[in-house]
Amino acid sequence: MNPVQRFFRRYIFSTIGILALFFVVNIALVLSVMIAGYMSGTDNGLSVRSVSSHVTEQGGVWTADDTALALLREHDAWAMLLDESGTVVWEQGLPEELPRSYTSAEVASFSRWYLQDYPVKVWSREDSALMVVGFEAGTLVKYYFSMETPSLMMFLMGGIAVFVFNLLLMIFLMLRNTRQVEKAMSPILRGIQDLSRGNYQPLDEGGELAEINAGLNRAGDYLMQKDNTRAEWIRGVSHDIRTPLSMVLGYASELEDDAALPPEARQQAGMIRRQGERLRSLVEDLNLTTKLEYALQPIRRESVDLVEIGRQAVSEVLNSGLPEQYELEFSEEHPGSTARMQGDAALLRRMLDNLIRNCMVHNPRGCHISVTVGAEAGRCTCTVEDDGVGMDAARLDALNREADVASTQGGEHGLGLKLVRQIVRAHGGTVQFWQAVPHGLEVFVFFSENSNVKHA
Amino acid sequence: MEHKILLVDDDRDLLEMLCSIFQRAGYTDLVTASSGQEALQAWREQQPALIVLDVMMPGMDGFEVLREIRRTSRVPVLMLTARGEVEDRIEGLEIGADDYLPKPFLPKELLLRVGAILHRTYPEPHRTVELAASTVDLEKAEVWKDGERTPLTAKELQLFQKLYENAGRIVTTGILCETICGEFWQGYESTLSTHIRHLREKIEANPSKPVSLVTAKGLGYRLNLRGAKS
Repeated sequence: MNPVQRFFRRYIFSTIGILALFFVVNIALVLSVMIAGYMSGTDNGLSVRSVSSHVTEQGGVWTADDTALALLREHDAWAMLLDESGTVVWEQGLPEELPRSYTSAEVASFSRWYLQDYPVKVWSREDSALMVVGFEAGTLVKYYFSMETPSLMMFLMGGIAVFVFNLLLMIFLMLRNTRQVEKAMSPILRGIQDLSRGNYQPLDEGGELAEINAGLNRAGDYLMQKDNTRAEWIRGVSHDIRTPLSMVLGYASELEDDAALPPEARQQAGMIRRQGERLRSLVEDLNLTTKLEYALQPIRRESVDLVEIGRQAVSEVLNSGLPEQYELEFSEEHPGSTARMQGDAALLRRMLDNLIRNCMVHNPRGCHISVTVGAEAGRCTCTVEDDGVGMDAARLDALNREADVASTQGGEHGLGLKLVRQIVRAHGGTVQFWQAVPHGLEVFVFFSENSNVKHA
Repeated sequence: MEHKILLVDDDRDLLEMLCSIFQRAGYTDLVTASSGQEALQAWREQQPALIVLDVMMPGMDGFEVLREIRRTSRVPVLMLTARGEVEDRIEGLEIGADDYLPKPFLPKELLLRVGAILHRTYPEPHRTVELAASTVDLEKAEVWKDGERTPLTAKELQLFQKLYENAGRIVTTGILCETICGEFWQGYESTLSTHIRHLREKIEANPSKPVSLVTAKGLGYRLNLRGAKS
């Protein structure tokens, strides 16, 4: 799962979480509102039953004790007791306008609704009398509800179904919305990722986010154009320098080989030729490093034998005429065995050539250079070691930290080593720089035999 | 040398230098052209033995000139280019160039490549190679040593020709194995050693101390011609 998909999955889960939280919070709020409403009522303390229990008959006379009277006062209520015939046998604070006798129909009516606008509560006593407690009009709402059981069940089930349907619809719409946002955003996020990798593909400038896509395309174009301009400029310069450099090398070589010239002049011509060759090598390095950096150089991946590549690189240096102050030696780590890996033979040869020439550039007074190639424990290795002046610990440390390789100050471990690192990286390998014993520089390169070829 | 060479480059200074390099190396029959059209005209009229052709020229470029030539002729062509791109090299070789040399080049590199192409394309009727202790006749595949004639096997001849094409230069074990065993040469190193030993017995005065076919330790072998610096 890529980071964009991960982001949207997390977004969906968090939205579902928010939804669940929303329901829980709402249920809690509704409950608390109901509790608060219930608590704010003044009726809560008055029970008809408790008033009734304090009203007793003694010898045909009904009397209420102080508790009953206190309860009624406290709630600003009145009370009456009806006997079986509907006649008021005891009363307390009963409004004057109310009748003192009721028919069965009137009792049935006010026990559910109101008694002449007075909300009332009733309690049927064990002695068949009916206790009625009434309140001031407008202090209590009475609602009578009745429904047939199948209808009630239907309403309940319907309510649950509507709730579930709403929930599912909400989740569906949310997922659909997220999917739409993901669909619109994914190309943009991918574009940003591509941009950071330097291989931007223009986005379609349609849809709701067309403006953002167009903006990203402009940024991509700008970056690519900048890169291309730089790469083209370097290629252009290296191209323009090739023909004049051919002439410098050509005539210098001719003068160097001209027996008719005084030896000093031939030596000077030789110097021009050698510097010309250095310049040629620099131009080639510059060109190749640019191509690798901007992924303009395709990596030709094939099964190659690093031992044979080592032989060819060393032979090439020897064939092109090794100055006498240098000794160059090639050896195999495990003679007779191959070191096969997937790679670009020309680039790997170039890497070894650069490492060998690096030893020569930094030891102009001469040194012994040994190149060792082999394969062990599933990886191909090559070591280029010299017994020259070497490098101080700080520079070695900087090289191993991958800093400093771009430095071209005075030609010191500059472009050549940068190119080495780029080629090694393009082959999924690692390069390390060590102090040779007792002195000199040792460069150790290793590639996993199944290493994937990457862009530099 | 009697081979007529056509040199094509739009840069007249470079053309002049090329002439100077070839003249100094003994090539006296030189023809020059500074554009694609001129090159085609010179090729039709002069029938050169080899063409050194610059790729980047205004108007008709080197690839177009080569395509036109290849429609009717197999004359060897060495492409020179100021662009070091691998794609250019492949395109040139695909169209039918015999070799490809990127600028800037050393005169020695150019002469070696031209010499190798001419050797391949126009083998001398009685091509013989003079070594310190023997003479090798490449046409008849035989060696003359101390007045005695010894034939070379097909593999020995292939090997010797490869070494001779690169005389004075180290040729790696891998390249030599590939020459006698083809692309899948891995594991044939001991076979190569056997052929080298047999070849030395035929061409060296003292095969255990070779002076003509010398070993470059760990790398391969080098053929030294008589009189050449080893």
